[in-house]
Amino acid sequence: MIEIKKLKKVYNGVTVVNVPQLEIKQGESIGLVGNNGAGKTTLFRMILDLIRPESGEVLSKGNKVAGAEDWKSYTASYLDEGFLIDYLTPEEYLYFIGGLHEQTNAQVDEHLATLTDFFNGEILKKGKYIRDLSKGNQCKVGVGACLLQKPQLLMLDEPFANIDPSTQFRLKNILKDQNKNHGVTTIVSSHDLNHITDVCERILLMEKGVIIKDIATSSSTLADLEEYFGVGQTIPANTPIIDEEENH
Amino acid sequence: MIGTFFNHELKAFWRSKNTGKSIGVKVVMGILLLLLFSYVLIFGLFLDKILGKVLPDSDLTVTFCGIILIYFLIDLLLRLQLQELPTLKVQPYLHLPVRRNSIVGYLALTALLSFFNLWPIVLFTPFILKVILPAAGAISAIAFIISIIGLSVFNNYLAMYIKRKANLNGWVFLIAAAVLILIMLGDFMWHIYSVRNISYLFFGNLIVKPYLVLLPILLGVAMYWLNFLYLKENLYLEELGSQKASAYKSSTEIPVLSRFGIVGDLAANEIKLILRNKRSRSTLIIGLFFMFYGLIFYTQAAYGETIKIFVGMFMTGIFIINYGQFMYSWQSSHFDGILVSKINFTDFLKAKYLLFTIASTIAFILTTPYVYFGWRIIMIHFIMYLWNLGINITIVLFFANRNYKRIDLSKGAAMNWEGVGATQLLLSLPLIALPYLVYLPFKYAGYPNLGFAAIAVVAIIFILTRNFWIKKLEEDFYSKRFKIAEGFRNK
Repeated sequence: MIEIKKLKKVYNGVTVVNVPQLEIKQGESIGLVGNNGAGKTTLFRMILDLIRPESGEVLSKGNKVAGAEDWKSYTASYLDEGFLIDYLTPEEYLYFIGGLHEQTNAQVDEHLATLTDFFNGEILKKGKYIRDLSKGNQCKVGVGACLLQKPQLLMLDEPFANIDPSTQFRLKNILKDQNKNHGVTTIVSSHDLNHITDVCERILLMEKGVIIKDIATSSSTLADLEEYFGVGQTIPANTPIIDEEENH
Repeated sequence: MIGTFFNHELKAFWRSKNTGKSIGVKVVMGILLLLLFSYVLIFGLFLDKILGKVLPDSDLTVTFCGIILIYFLIDLLLRLQLQELPTLKVQPYLHLPVRRNSIVGYLALTALLSFFNLWPIVLFTPFILKVILPAAGAISAIAFIISIIGLSVFNNYLAMYIKRKANLNGWVFLIAAAVLILIMLGDFMWHIYSVRNISYLFFGNLIVKPYLVLLPILLGVAMYWLNFLYLKENLYLEELGSQKASAYKSSTEIPVLSRFGIVGDLAANEIKLILRNKRSRSTLIIGLFFMFYGLIFYTQAAYGETIKIFVGMFMTGIFIINYGQFMYSWQSSHFDGILVSKINFTDFLKAKYLLFTIASTIAFILTTPYVYFGWRIIMIHFIMYLWNLGINITIVLFFANRNYKRIDLSKGAAMNWEGVGATQLLLSLPLIALPYLVYLPFKYAGYPNLGFAAIAVVAIIFILTRNFWIKKLEEDFYSKRFKIAEGFRNK
């Protein structure tokens, strides 16, 4: 589905992304983890042809992404609020996106009916522009717009960050359903290790622009990742908390 | 405390994006401001001569006293449209241990920092010094100046007050505007009363009874207190903010445009962008004011036809120039979304052409009343309308590919320099020069009519070859889009 060759991005002399070789097969579910500044969003943007790499290329279904339009018809993505047209109401925006994929408003409505749970009654017919929604609700609109496009490749950047626990749970189910039952290739980044190991079958761990681990999710993955991110931290095991006030 | 606030205020001004980042832009803006300032000053200095010319029969002082109140009525109307509320700047202080009175005092005082408060003083003081001072003495002159300042302050706070009220209830604004317009109509249309006489009643008496100066002072102070108290009562974010309290926002469709498919959808989205965001809306309103531009030139026989080319182009193409100069910055906040979505850039460009064509057509229709000054003016307008459609849209879009500056749509357009860069300054050159390059050779050869015909022919050629130019613009865009998208990501 996606093939990356010798991809490199440099900002002010600092290499922020350096991926010599990466292949993502059709139907895989990829989880991208890494600390702030590891280059996750930059990698996403290069896959989406939003920034120009210093060298190397990204291929989608064997065709170069750069300068091409074909991949846009089967790729849906939501990286941040910058992907939403914020002066439209959610309905207008979703109809617009549907229109780009030759869907009539009725078809869009039909599809949106399947998202009723996910939207949780906070998105549609609320009489608000997207810019007046909370960040979590904006994220719901973005994800909803992605699903509306019936993509073969779905890319979400930190979708769990701003949404409430119920929606996180629903989003995980949606991602699993898309991947298992519709064969959608998903690439999701997150700081929540529990969610990412739950949803994704393959985890890419980035550090300073380099993919340092590429592992298939197993029962030990979560512990491995926690160990990596917990560098140098020791949690005192079951230290009883002594309250001075009460202990005299 | 107020001192610290002002210190922060100064930093906010110099570090704001509106001020323009590069030193070059700052210099040019400074010069432009100085130029504007000196225009007003010169107008003020020659106000006595101008009034003498326009109304040669009546007494100079009487005329002057008569226009002051009219000025302030128009001033109020303009302020309601263009003046910014100093608003959310206080947000970082609200939760800190700062006394409410200092915050409110600061908010109320910074409201005075507006160019609107400078113009009446610059405009009227020279006349007062030149005419009133020698005729009536120093005390009357000082009383005059203080009255003008007092009325400015009154207007300033009245406009603020109405705008704050309007934030909570949109009808307040409409009612205020309607009342102002009715006051004007009552004088100039229905002749029920004369604002000029009322104005003279006060200012004429002010000359003999300088103590009347207390009235404008009282008005100014009272309005300040009203604002102060109102702010103190309503020091909550949503009431201070410039956002309207959440009225139900309905989804709308523009059925005519949906016939154009994706192109129509994109144009419809952009129309919504213009109407639903503050900066674009005020750009549109400023554009509507420019429909009166012709009155300056067409009423004077001294201006020849050469200038009419510019005036005609400006009026029928004001939207292309004024809105187009910031293209695609209008969409900077969701430009990434446009790039990754299934939008063909050809369609994207065609939507711009469609939008500009609609706007220009409306502008042309709005300028048809100028037929009063002769059919030839309408002919020039029509030719320049074609020129706008054929050439200016393409020029504007060519420069749009070179514009990398993000703009915040929630700020007003008046005196807002965010997004202004070299592109905007360079853009004006071809816009102004090109029609003259076509016209002037014919004019100096003695065939001005052929010159107009040549402009029309060139314009029509460009309209007919539009698809070719769209192709060129698209190729150009593909080589620049990373830079554009990156610039728009820089908040």
